[in-house]
Amino acid sequence: MTARMIMKLRVEAAALSTPKVLHLTLVHPIRPELPAWEPGAHVDLRLPDGKIRQYSLCGDSADRRTYEIAIKREDAGRGASRWAHDALAPGAVAHVSAPRSNFRLQEARRHVFVVGGIGVTPALAMARRLAADGADFTVHFCARSEPEAPLLPELRAVCGDRLQTWFSADGRRFDPQLIGPAHDACLYVCGPQRLLDAVRTAAAELGWPEQRICAEAFQATLDENFKPEPFDATLASTAETLHVPADRSLLEVLRDHGITMPSSCELGVCGSCVCGYTEGVVIHRDAALSVADRQDKIATCVSRARVSVTLDL
Amino acid sequence: MRDDETRREALAEPQATRPAPKMVEAFEHAAGSIARGVPGGATGFRGVLLHIHVAPAASYEMEELREAECVAGRGIVGDRYFDGTGTYSPKPDTREVTLIEQEALDALARNDPPLQGGAIALAPGDHRRNLTVRGVPLNHLVGRRFRAGEVILRGGRLNFPCKYLEELLGLPVYLPLYNRSGLNCGIESGGVIRPGDAIELLDDADA
Repeated sequence: MTARMIMKLRVEAAALSTPKVLHLTLVHPIRPELPAWEPGAHVDLRLPDGKIRQYSLCGDSADRRTYEIAIKREDAGRGASRWAHDALAPGAVAHVSAPRSNFRLQEARRHVFVVGGIGVTPALAMARRLAADGADFTVHFCARSEPEAPLLPELRAVCGDRLQTWFSADGRRFDPQLIGPAHDACLYVCGPQRLLDAVRTAAAELGWPEQRICAEAFQATLDENFKPEPFDATLASTAETLHVPADRSLLEVLRDHGITMPSSCELGVCGSCVCGYTEGVVIHRDAALSVADRQDKIATCVSRARVSVTLDL
Repeated sequence: MRDDETRREALAEPQATRPAPKMVEAFEHAAGSIARGVPGGATGFRGVLLHIHVAPAASYEMEELREAECVAGRGIVGDRYFDGTGTYSPKPDTREVTLIEQEALDALARNDPPLQGGAIALAPGDHRRNLTVRGVPLNHLVGRRFRAGEVILRGGRLNFPCKYLEELLGLPVYLPLYNRSGLNCGIESGGVIRPGDAIELLDDADA
């Protein structure tokens, strides 16, 4: 993964899209154009204490002047969203990285989106591009209720009758079978893990091939029962072997030995700390890598190995 | 809550937790110490300081300053290498101040030589060097003392383009900047510099 420039952007507008979701418009104080991005991309937001959080860009990728992000206030979260809601008023400065794309539109004749809650953010940007291109797409938007559905007016304006809303408060629940058959289509799922799981299960039953499903978890896989075991990591370039104890991550051990990998979320979501491996059985625990990438790449912050692994470092 | 207190918090820089950087004195650098004893190079030039840029921490966009305080043995106040928060701060080297020639940037902008797909127009500061200068033969100044305004600099080694810069910019600048990526300097005598300051050689080799 690549290093990205961090910019001090000015909050041009800050509005509550729902009582819990802050919709921000960011501009560069000097440059007329921000770095270009593809729909589905995200940026890092840096907090004053140095922590980093990822937010998908939800604005118009054709508008080079502004970035838009939407931040859900998580009162039980790790504090970043509370800070953002309190501090990022119009005129404030937000430290934001250039965008990175882990989640992209694919070549397909038809595009089906299933999004839940704040997972709407990348889908809004992607749907905007598809609408501009005159592509065939459908967006299923799941939320508790209409007033709690973030960016709903924007999504309606972009999608028109290609949007189907599923508000549980109205007794309407999304049936994953509605994604339909797979032929010539690509499926995009973003939202909480349980939505991803339900849609993946239905997609498998309907015969969707794995490579036609793009999913973006808005939190990394939580497997409470996972018990980390120690393992050894060998560096291909020097043949040096590092021991990774059960209570430490591969990323931390690499850092201790002076190998500073780029890293960001350290939750297995952003893909910053991914590196290649050539030998070994890897226990993938991230939400960033595709099945194909997992053959030779490892997210060093959360993933581990059985007994040993040889890293392409 | 949108009071001034939180606004100030929003403006705060990330906390620098790393210690002050260890610098290699320019004329003790492996390159600078050799060049110091070898005569040659351009003399009699009078160049000019065009821009001053600093970045508050690693990967942060460079910001232009209208004047800057240079501290001997340390760097430019407000820059990541002054604070020890730069990408390469953990590796001791000569990087108190870095300079680049406007002429090299002009060459990139006209795709000369044609080492990449096309012309590369770098916005001021995107090269991530501190001082952009015109009329100063930087490749001749390793092992030399020269002044920028009231500040005395010592050329320690040639700057080397890094893949990290390519990644940050998303532009293939590595090869085109090779051998004209500028000069890493130490500060012999500090002071305040401003764009427009004259840049002149102070002495020749120590031979």
